[in-house]
Amino acid sequence: MAEIRVEGISKLFGTVKALDDVALVVEDQEFVVLLGPSGCGKTTLLRIIAGLESATAGTVHIGGRDVSRLPPRSRRISMVFQNYAVFPHLTVFENVAFGLRMQKMNKPEITPRVQQAAELMHIESLLKRYPSQLSGGQRQRVAVARALAVEPEVLLMDEPLSNLDALLRLEMRAELKRLLQGTGTTTLYVTHDQVEAMSLADRIAVMRDGRIVQYDVPLTVYGHPADIFVGGFIGNPPMNFLRLAAQRPAGNGGRPESIARMGELALPAPDTGLDTLVLGLRPEDLEVLQAPAPDAFSAEVQVVEPLGPHLLLTLVASDQPLKVTAPPDLHLRPDDTVWLRPLPKRLRWMNPETGAAIAPTSSA
Amino acid sequence: MRHRAIYFALALVLCAWVLLPILLLTILAFTERQAIFAWPKGLWPEHFSLETMSFFFGVQGVWRALRNSVLVALLTVVFALALGAPAGYALARYRFPGKDAYRVMILITRAFPLMILAVPLAVRFIDLGLYDTPWAVALVHTALALPFAALITSSIFLGIPRELEEAAWTLGCTRLQAFVKLVLPLALPGLVATAIFAFVISWNEVFAATILTLRERTLTAYLLTVLPDSPLPFRFAGGFFLIVPALVFIFAIRRYLFTLWGIANR
Repeated sequence: MAEIRVEGISKLFGTVKALDDVALVVEDQEFVVLLGPSGCGKTTLLRIIAGLESATAGTVHIGGRDVSRLPPRSRRISMVFQNYAVFPHLTVFENVAFGLRMQKMNKPEITPRVQQAAELMHIESLLKRYPSQLSGGQRQRVAVARALAVEPEVLLMDEPLSNLDALLRLEMRAELKRLLQGTGTTTLYVTHDQVEAMSLADRIAVMRDGRIVQYDVPLTVYGHPADIFVGGFIGNPPMNFLRLAAQRPAGNGGRPESIARMGELALPAPDTGLDTLVLGLRPEDLEVLQAPAPDAFSAEVQVVEPLGPHLLLTLVASDQPLKVTAPPDLHLRPDDTVWLRPLPKRLRWMNPETGAAIAPTSSA
Repeated sequence: MRHRAIYFALALVLCAWVLLPILLLTILAFTERQAIFAWPKGLWPEHFSLETMSFFFGVQGVWRALRNSVLVALLTVVFALALGAPAGYALARYRFPGKDAYRVMILITRAFPLMILAVPLAVRFIDLGLYDTPWAVALVHTALALPFAALITSSIFLGIPRELEEAAWTLGCTRLQAFVKLVLPLALPGLVATAIFAFVISWNEVFAATILTLRERTLTAYLLTVLPDSPLPFRFAGGFFLIVPALVFIFAIRRYLFTLWGIANR
């Protein structure tokens, strides 16, 4: 049981900056997901923590020890790889026992530990087989059992589910969550799948271009994205971003507020001195009305996609496209006009130049 | 249909071209002396005999040459693997400046004519006291086998995922332990093939062996010097003995030769 503390990590590949002064703290027993698009540096960061890659600058502490200069074997970690990395010339039993044998553990101690790890991953019946006789999902179970058998202080996982098919991934996801809640192992998990991140993480660290842009609990990352990138990356369909003209009304008595207009609707917005503001709205944060309302703006339906639990509408409002979910029993056709009422508490204002979220004003 | 016929005819001619001499050699090496001079010959001898072979091994110097050949070939295998496999591993696993140039250089050494090297080498070996020893021949044969050893082993190591080693490191292995516990067992068939290949290169080489030895001839060098003055049965037996090991070994490792020339251009 240990915390991971990463400070000032930078990594250069030639002249390309893969990681740029990254700091990250994973608390003891916490499950943190590193989330980001491919090439954002998340796997590089994980490999640096594992000791498989050396950082250009910065330090890594695991459980209070500075492990920056230590080889992987001395870091008390174990790792699960994307392509499983199960040893093909060893049986499942020997794979799971590998780390224990390396610790020079006695034979009578090894067998129960292997049994226990195998039971956790439901592979007790496969122990005598060779990896070539296993399916992809079974191999991944072996890889996880092998990593857990050594009872590491820290478990590192590099996109462990991405090579599995969709159904299996769903099943393994829930199983991993159950398992790691039980063991309480500090876990750092890399993925590009935002659903995986939302479902597994205690906290999500969203990465982009070698930096961590937001590090918070899943619901905050979802509800209060730090910038336009995070809002667009997390959520399916992603957050809508509407550009609104903003102006400061005459004589508002110094209140830090301006008025932003979306079609016929005027919304109170933070006063930033900018002429344009970006309004971030999740597809489910708009109410679809079929008659005009004072606190709604009109939009034209373009596409209606019945998805079962809800309808997914693609609309255009003031020449700006947006996607909105609606109750499945709503009868709508393309070219219909509807009125959209944003939920007042879900308005997220962003700076159109920097993309950064604008902190809500204290009066709002 | 006609194309098919031509194709098969050509294939047949090619096979006969290669196989007929080997067949004749084999048959004549195992028949009585009189049968060698018999005419016309049947494609299959009436009775086999070891007379020719035993005559061949009875000739003075054959056993010694055979021993030298085996010794030189084994030394070549050891040197070529000891130097070539680490080079192959480095080519497969590490990025370093000039890697592609290095890979090409390895191949280019094969284009360097041995003839030009042979005389200076002989002089150098005389200075070092290595001349006319199996060591000298083995060193030159190692130079010949080394490029292949490095390139074949590099493709073997490339075929073993790096993650396996990394997983072993995270599970408590040093680099050396990971190599011994994972890479070596997985690479073993390929390494054996490389060894056999080096063996065959050494076994078949005649030029350097002739220049660098006087009394401690290898079998090829020995035969080359004595064949013109030898009776026919002796020639057949000698030829058979030179061809067969090479054939057997090449057949055993053909899969790895394909990897070398086919897929392993990375």
